Amino acid sequence: MPATKAAHPEAMAPAVNGPTRTAPPMQPSSWKTSPRMKQYSRFGLTGWIYLLASFAAIYIVYGLGSGPEAYAQVQALLANPLVIAFHLLCLISVGFVLVRFFGLFPKAQPARIGPAKPPPQPVLKAMLYGLWAGATLVLSVILAGGIF
Amino acid sequence: MSQGHPLLKLEPLIWFLFGQGIMIGSILMTGWLLVVGVLAPLGIIPPEALGYERAHMLASNPIGRFILLGILALPLWKGAHHVRHFFIDRGYAAHDATIGGLAYLVATLGSIVSLVAVIRL
Amino acid sequence: MTTRRKFVVTRFDPDKDEVPKTQEYEIECQDDWKVLDAINFIKDEVDSTISHRWSCRMAVCGSCGMMVDGEPKLTCKTALDSYGDTVEIEPLANFPVVKDLVVELEGFMGKFQQVKPWIMNAKEEAEKKAASTMKEGTYRQSAEELMAFKQFSMCINCMLCYSACPVVSNEPDFLGPAAIALGHRYNMDTRDGGQDERNQIFREEGTVFSCSYANECSEVCPKGVDPAAAVNQAKFNAVIDWATGLVVSRPAPQGDE
Repeated sequence: MPATKAAHPEAMAPAVNGPTRTAPPMQPSSWKTSPRMKQYSRFGLTGWIYLLASFAAIYIVYGLGSGPEAYAQVQALLANPLVIAFHLLCLISVGFVLVRFFGLFPKAQPARIGPAKPPPQPVLKAMLYGLWAGATLVLSVILAGGIF
Repeated sequence: MSQGHPLLKLEPLIWFLFGQGIMIGSILMTGWLLVVGVLAPLGIIPPEALGYERAHMLASNPIGRFILLGILALPLWKGAHHVRHFFIDRGYAAHDATIGGLAYLVATLGSIVSLVAVIRL
Repeated sequence: MTTRRKFVVTRFDPDKDEVPKTQEYEIECQDDWKVLDAINFIKDEVDSTISHRWSCRMAVCGSCGMMVDGEPKLTCKTALDSYGDTVEIEPLANFPVVKDLVVELEGFMGKFQQVKPWIMNAKEEAEKKAASTMKEGTYRQSAEELMAFKQFSMCINCMLCYSACPVVSNEPDFLGPAAIALGHRYNMDTRDGGQDERNQIFREEGTVFSCSYANECSEVCPKGVDPAAAVNQAKFNAVIDWATGLVVSRPAPQGDE
């Protein structure tokens, strides 16, 4: 037998057992090697990265609100190569999440919500990418000193 | 989690926050991570741009506070939801009420701390 | 032209076996055979004790679902020539196994019944519509209204989506892709007035929010139903229904006709 992992013992169980003994449900053996399931796994793993990215952002803003000396310490920590690498990893994760999300989001819009209808899927996808690019550009320019 | 669990009543709200965490949180996080996390520490942008005075001026602006709240709090909900599913996918569904509760508690506490951090700027 | 292939088939007889085991069959396969042709040949000519479900041979009945090299497939629709010399045949994943390649269906049937897959309060809906469109009598529906749900009505109940879903595998209470898609099909049908009841089921029983949007169900669906789209549309509708319910008081559900 392929060394497949068991599913939950109650998966797809009937409300009342049938007259004969059944073998327990197993997970698909392809899940261990399937490229799609690996992508799905990575998507789930980004949850941890998002939590850490949030904690880091909270630390930064807390430091900013604690005066110039505290903020200087924050900036020193941010300049640490490991911390820069961490933020780069967060950036790559965010990109990965959004590309997958923008692929899946358009078809998740109901055909109509009350009287309102969503735009056609390709249009919606383009709007999402446009929003992402636009917001990133504006925020980056502001943060980098371009305006204000 | 099993039917009838109190947390179930909140699932629509949690899912909505998770969805916004992914969408708005990720979109805002991109610019933040790019500049604050990578370009500024590497010295690629001028140091005065995010020096204390300018950073504080931007952040304490009402719109700045609002956007910062989004960057700090929304990703927590995406993170918590996926961490909960991380454990479900690895066979811990029986403990989902506890793990899920803990994950969303972290997100809630983090959101409150985010609010405090943004207010006290 | 024929190709010699080896089939590694899961066998399980509850009267004789503690756990499932495999049995190998080497047969000459015609080049145009589907996987089902090979299994039927094995049953007819090699080993008549093997048990499997099949019927229409043309991908409309949904009976012949099995795992082929670890992926859920309709065996009548799956050509053998995309596989190698050795092919693994297992019963559908995530289901209890009754015998050999036959899985227990009752759990699946139960999930369907949970979503109340029938037109509810049709008369009231028709009257509401007649009042606004001045047309009485039959339950009229435009082509556009049909398109809002038609895709989700194409399900043949083959259960491949349940075998592909990581949440079905780990959360026994989850309604699952086909059941939610079917409930959503009725929610989006303008002739139906049962949205409040179904959305409550979607939020509180086997909740739609357990879906983690792996999209595997839609990848394996042989009829292009796209259950992942249905489930995630259902999430949207369920949130709006929940939010509306916080603000607007609703009469208790009247039940179905």
